[in-house]
Amino acid sequence: MSKTSIQKKKKYKPQQQKSAYLFILPSMLILTVFIFIPLFASLVISLLDMNIFMKDISFVGLLNFVRAFQDSRVHNATLNTFYFAVLEVPLQVGIALLLSIYVAKDNKYTRALRSVYYLPFVCSMTAVGIVWSMLLDPNLGMLPYLLRCIGIESISFLKDPNLAMPTIIVVSAWKGFGYTLTLITAAVLNVPSSLYEAAEMDGANTWQKFIHITIPGIWPTVSFCIVTTTISALQMFDQAYVMTQGGPLNRTETLVQYIYDRGFQTAPYDLGYASAISVYLFAIIAVITFILRRFILEKGE
Amino acid sequence: MKVKRVTAGVLAALFAAMSVTGCGSSDAQTSTEGASAEETGTEAAETDTAAAESSEGEPVTLQFWNVFTGSDGDILRTIVDNYNKTNTDNITIEMDIMPNDTLQQKLPAAIATQTAPDLVLFGVENLAPYVSNDSLEDISDFWDVTGVDKDNFLENVTELSYVDGKLYGTPMQYNVSYLYWNKDLFEAAGLDPDTPPATMDELAEYAEKLTDPSKNQYGLAMPTNATYMQFLWANGGDADDPDTNTNLLDSEENLKTLEWMQDLAVNKKVTPANVTGSDADAMLQAGQIAMYMSGPWQINGLREQGINFGIAPCVAGSAGSFSPAGGCSYVIPKGTDEVKKQAAYKFMQYWLTDEVLKEWSQKNGFPVWSKSLAQDAEIQNDEVLNSISKATEIGRAYNLGYSLASQIDNDVMIPMFENVLTGAKSPEDALKEASAAMDNVLAQ
Repeated sequence: MSKTSIQKKKKYKPQQQKSAYLFILPSMLILTVFIFIPLFASLVISLLDMNIFMKDISFVGLLNFVRAFQDSRVHNATLNTFYFAVLEVPLQVGIALLLSIYVAKDNKYTRALRSVYYLPFVCSMTAVGIVWSMLLDPNLGMLPYLLRCIGIESISFLKDPNLAMPTIIVVSAWKGFGYTLTLITAAVLNVPSSLYEAAEMDGANTWQKFIHITIPGIWPTVSFCIVTTTISALQMFDQAYVMTQGGPLNRTETLVQYIYDRGFQTAPYDLGYASAISVYLFAIIAVITFILRRFILEKGE
Repeated sequence: MKVKRVTAGVLAALFAAMSVTGCGSSDAQTSTEGASAEETGTEAAETDTAAAESSEGEPVTLQFWNVFTGSDGDILRTIVDNYNKTNTDNITIEMDIMPNDTLQQKLPAAIATQTAPDLVLFGVENLAPYVSNDSLEDISDFWDVTGVDKDNFLENVTELSYVDGKLYGTPMQYNVSYLYWNKDLFEAAGLDPDTPPATMDELAEYAEKLTDPSKNQYGLAMPTNATYMQFLWANGGDADDPDTNTNLLDSEENLKTLEWMQDLAVNKKVTPANVTGSDADAMLQAGQIAMYMSGPWQINGLREQGINFGIAPCVAGSAGSFSPAGGCSYVIPKGTDEVKKQAAYKFMQYWLTDEVLKEWSQKNGFPVWSKSLAQDAEIQNDEVLNSISKATEIGRAYNLGYSLASQIDNDVMIPMFENVLTGAKSPEDALKEASAAMDNVLAQ
């Protein structure tokens, strides 16, 4: 009897593993088709002279990369991408951190607030972008109208070369902070309350408790948020595509937008060149993620 | 227990249904397509029994992509539906409207993978890149096969569909830029509402008079995402010569024009700052803009908004007056089989009848380019079409049929005009930079 049950167990285990593979098969398939194959393909295409018609393809080696490094619009787009990421990430994570002090209490009121903050994150960036560009439109928008009522003359947020990027940064942070806030709040609620009680006995004020207990307690979550928002900030596309189309004067054109423009918008639809720029962006993101993880995680430990 | 079983049963049924719809969506689609084709088939039979009886050939279904997302798309759909019902060749056209960006993304890949539609309608400025990549059918035999008289159409219109002497499309519509002016605003500013500016000097003078920032009213809209060949040409300048691959940007004439534009936009502020074309369209329809240069597609919107407007030719400079021409053509993607190609010919032929062209011109305000239709009494008495025909005479091709055209626009001309109109660069610097960029593009 006992022998058979052992045999059964032995038999059962590999079967269980097999079915586990079956369960990850759908995601694996999707990942392979939409991530791994395109990733590998873009590496190959970046070495080719190939346009969207896929005729007369020839191998050109690193020529596309040489072109990219000499292209002033690549430099401009790189700067814009960093400009966006360097301001958007701290703003978004900062807002979430500050608000988490107030909403990390489990009652009806804060739960309602948390849902409200989460709402923009659920909306599609395209819809949000269209709504904001209408609100901010200097001729038809509500915000410039309200500003005019209190005597501030026509600020064209998205059409002023110097204001366009900051505006996009604020809108993106507004849209994304709810997600970060949810993660951070969950982490804050997990910090043992005994620590706070002990600190209170030692006479610590709210700010001191936040700096010395909350922050260290939630650091792994915060660093996770910083890394993921940085990666998505470096891939910024929809916001600028919907609200400014990269303008005015290419001041909001990011790398992904320029890739899209070369590959799909401007004839001769140079896929080889567009892929070279995406490989360049891939390298940037890989290096930055690596550095961030090393730096932030070590600091946390 | 029972409840659980029922729930489980329902869930199982749901999943089954989901998986069927998930995997079988393409089949489902084809079957509905087939059904709709049958439906229209029976409709045709009911409405016109004689036609149904005489249709001998096998039923042919044509997939038709186009970029007519505006109100003109509804009119196009009516015409196509009508064709589906009345044609005697058993042809059904299934129309798919998408924004131009989307079409330009999907079509090349579709042609490369043999999944392209059988008929496409897009702007003639797109022809050259497709032809240079061997992605369109050569339809030079169209006139002979269908017996349509090529000489009945204005040559400057038909020639837009030719690339290197071969025909790749049949004309669908022709347009140039006009000067629209708001008669009510002219009157309010003390100008004669029936006399539009004829020269660049008058245009500048009027634009200044018509600008009133306190009312959020502007004299002349100049969007920053556009090109202004009409102004460069008017002073005798040009951008490039597509035949010889020569850069013609760096000239005294162009510098003069750009200085004039910057003075108007930056110093006199006659245009709302940093607007896009669609912003300007909206402001024109809201009566905030007195003058604007744009194509015939403004007419319907202005009529709907009840704007009291006039249409005039683009203004003249020292070298005359010109207006950039454009148009749309029906094309057949490479790889379309012979049966479908012949069916597409039949529809193109249908479009080129005076009856259809008349409907299109009258409903949309597009110029008439069929010589026999121009003799039509109704057309000759149409006020809008009359003012348009004068403005159409100065049409001039700008890089049409040139495979580098879109790159020249996006990388050279639009940034140059944007720099000038926003005052980001002086006209000299903007021109110098644009000329260098032009050299870069032409070197390819």
